[in-house]
Order: sequence, then structure tokens, then C-alpha cells
Amino acid sequence: MKASFEKTEKNVGILTVETDVEAVNKALDQAFKKVVKKVSVPGFRKGKVPRFIFEQRFGVEALYEDALEILLPEAYEAAIKETGIEPVDRPEIDIEQLEKGKSLIFKAKVTVKPEVKLGEYKGLEVEVPEDDFKVTEENVEAELTKMQKQQGQLEVVEDGAVENGDRVIIDFEGFMDGEAFEGGKAEKYTLEVGSGTFIPGFEEQLLGMKAGEEKEIQVTFPEEYHAENLAGKPATFKVKLHEIKRLNLPELDDEFAQDVSEFDTLDELKADIEKKLQDRADTERKNYIRNQLVEQAAEKAEIDIPPVMIEREVDHMLQQFEQQLRYQGLDLKMYLEFTGQEEEKIREQFKADAEKKVRADLVLEAIAKAENIEVTDEEVEQEINQLAEQMERDVEEIRRWLGEGGVERIKEQLITKKTIDLLVLSSKNAA
Amino acid sequence: MKDPRDIIHRPVITEQSTELMEQGKYVFEVDVRANKVEIKQAIEKIFDGVKVEKVNTMRVPGKQKRYGRFTGRTPERKKAIVKLAPDSKPIEIFEA
Repeated sequence: MKASFEKTEKNVGILTVETDVEAVNKALDQAFKKVVKKVSVPGFRKGKVPRFIFEQRFGVEALYEDALEILLPEAYEAAIKETGIEPVDRPEIDIEQLEKGKSLIFKAKVTVKPEVKLGEYKGLEVEVPEDDFKVTEENVEAELTKMQKQQGQLEVVEDGAVENGDRVIIDFEGFMDGEAFEGGKAEKYTLEVGSGTFIPGFEEQLLGMKAGEEKEIQVTFPEEYHAENLAGKPATFKVKLHEIKRLNLPELDDEFAQDVSEFDTLDELKADIEKKLQDRADTERKNYIRNQLVEQAAEKAEIDIPPVMIEREVDHMLQQFEQQLRYQGLDLKMYLEFTGQEEEKIREQFKADAEKKVRADLVLEAIAKAENIEVTDEEVEQEINQLAEQMERDVEEIRRWLGEGGVERIKEQLITKKTIDLLVLSSKNAA
Repeated sequence: MKDPRDIIHRPVITEQSTELMEQGKYVFEVDVRANKVEIKQAIEKIFDGVKVEKVNTMRVPGKQKRYGRFTGRTPERKKAIVKLAPDSKPIEIFEA
């Protein structure tokens, strides 16, 4: 087999491939074996037609298409290996010659990975907005309050009036011009006062009511209410209040600390919360630096990214987006209808991000190559073991689940990680 | 003499006949009235450089066919298996 690659444009080139005669014949044989099962010739049972009869009746040309299907992918793969190019998209293939007893010659127009001219990537500096990653007293307090609320218990208020934040159980029936309207009635409905669940004015007028009390509430539906026959009109609600429940917050003291954690005192709990928050902030800070460094390195490099690469990335992002939607029980078509957007527009939105990502990936790859960053099998092994531990599965099982491609991906991830490590270590933010 | 193409009608191309070709035997449909000698001569005339060793013939009776209330027969045929001499050129059939 002969293969040669010639660049015609920056990232586009023509790959010319000539295969062996033998390969063509083998492919034709295979194609015949496949086709023969489907043709019927009078005098022969299906699949029993001899080759020469077939060729007399249909011509050898009939086999070319199927032979190509077998031959092309193989030849293309082999040619890529031989010339060492890295295509990023499907090739446009032009068949020059295909005949029985002759070699196959074809030209493939391929877009290859662009060359990356690295700019500076060592000694970069990231300005970190330190304030964003600081843990303040307030953060700790907020966390405590959250825990307090979680620990709080709803208690029935026997005698007392409704206050904001209370949960009340009510019956209500709405009237407009003295007549009940649809959807305006409910019994034993639990409502959190002050949550804004009901139309404005309703919850406010509940304030101060006592358990067992009945009241008429006057409200006006807002103009933009979803039911058109009600929007903007005044209505009267007859309300009966059954019960008031109030969230009883536990005292913030050592006892509380003992209840919610393994600590004995509130101070210890606070210290722990602060430490956890600090840890999280530190990780965020580290990630921020990493991302910024990669972005800087990417910006400094010179690359001519072929549009197809970006398109592919957009495709990928769109797919992920669709998957997310599916978790919410939507699909892309429904989403587009809801938001009134077109797919084209969304693609346009994704484009900038896609370009950034492709750029960063290419640059990281180039740096890894320039710095000879490699990953040993042991490191991959270790990563898989870790993964197995995280997922609480057998190492073997994980391996099977990953398959060949998965292991390869882990390797790539590790290389990327190491590359970014290098960026960080060599940057001025190293300390 | 009769035209040899009036004697040899067409080759029989079936699974069985293609198998016979490996043994140098070719199957033809021939005129029902033709005899072995005539067939041998006709074959040698039509195909250049072909030498016939022997000819076996068989008659294939027509089948009863009905079309509504009319009964009829499909025509009777005669098949000839022509065996070529070992030093003969093979017959090349280009016909559907």
C-alpha cells in the first residue's frame, strides 16, 4: 500500500492512497459472498450462483460498491497510520480507480488537527480575586442557620396569631361577583405564609388570624394572571383557618452542636464548619487558578482552528445539553418550543464556549507534547483503583465497564491533569 | 444441411449444469428431432476448436397446463449433454 499526504490549505490536505491489487480482489470476494445471498438467478437456488455466472449477468461493477464499503475504511485507517496525520472530521473521498485485478486509488480530502504555535505558558500569572474565596463570619453563621432550620420542628400554635413564616392549614373558597369560580376552592390546604405562593395580598391578610377563625379576604388578581377570565378582577375569598404551625428553632448552644454533629461544643462545630467552608473555598480557588492559567496559555498560542472542529464540539455540547433536558423529562424539541428559540440560535450561543474548549484542548495537548508529559501504566492503574474505590466496585468490574476506550480516556485525562499541574507549578501562583 | 443454430437452441444454465462444466460436460437444449451425430457436428461448427467426445441426450416431456377449461401442453424439449474431448478447447458461453 502506498499513501501520501499533501497539504493544500492550512489545515486541509489531500491524502492519496493506492492499495494492493490483492486487497482489492479480497474485498471483491468478500463483497460477492455478501451479495450472492441476496440475488436470485433462474436455475439456481439463492446463494448458490457461481461467481462467473454472476459477473456475466450483473457485471463486476455490481460488486464495487460493496467492495468499497469493506475496503475503504481499512485502507483509510492504514493510510492515516502510515502518514501519521490526525484528521478531525470525516474525509471527503474521491475514488480515482477501482477495477478488478487493479489496485484501488482514491483521494481523500481531510481536515487535520491544526498546528499549535505555543505562546508563553510558563511563568503565567493569575490575578485571584481573593475576596471571593475567603470564608467570613457571615458564611459560617449562614451555614449554622441553615442547620438550625433543618433541625427545627413544626409545632402547633394553640392560641396565638399568624405570623410570617408560619404554616397554616386553611379551607378557602373564592367568589367573584358573588359567584364561586373554578379552581378557587380547596380544603385543608397547607400554606406557608409569606412564601408568595398565592396572589399578592392574600397571605398578608392572613396575618393575625387565630386558629378556628373565619374571615373574608378581598383581593384583586394581578393583570398578568394566567387565567384570563380572572386576571385583573377583584375577588372575595372565604377562608377558614384550622391550624397554625410554627417552625420551632432549637437554641444555638452546645446541646445543638451535640445533636447535629459529633462535637461537644458549639465552638467546635463552628470551627469545623469554618474549616469545611475554607476547604471548599480553597478547592474553588485552586480550580479558578487552573482554569485561568489554561485560558491564558490558550490565548497566547497561535492556532488556526478548522471550523469543523468547533462544529463537532458544538454538536457534542448540544448532545450533553439534551441529556440534561432529558433528566428533567424534556427533549430538545420541547425546549425549543417553550423558549421560542431555534436550534441555530442555541448553536450560535454554544459556539464561543466550544471554540474556547477546543482551543484549550489543543493547547494542552501541544504543551504535553512539547514537555514530553507521559503517563505510565502504573499511574493509570492507580487511577482505576481509585475509581473503583470511589464507586465501591471491583477493580475488574470497573475495567470491564471502561473497556479499551475508557482506559484510553483516563490516560488522556491524566495527561491533561499533569499538564495543568505543570502550568500551575511554573506559574507565579505556584506558592 | 440444416443450420447448426437450428439444432442447438440454447445452453441450459443451472446449478447442476454449471457443476457438470467442471467435468467438461456442457448442457444444451436442442431440436427435438436432432440426433446425437447432428448435435455433435453442430456444436463443433458453432464453437471454434471444440472437439466433442460424446453426446448424451434426453427428452423432457411437456407439462400439462390448464387455462380455464382448456387443457394444453407445454412443448416437449430435448436436452443434450455434450462431453468434450480432453484436448478440446472449452466452450465459452455468453448468453443469459
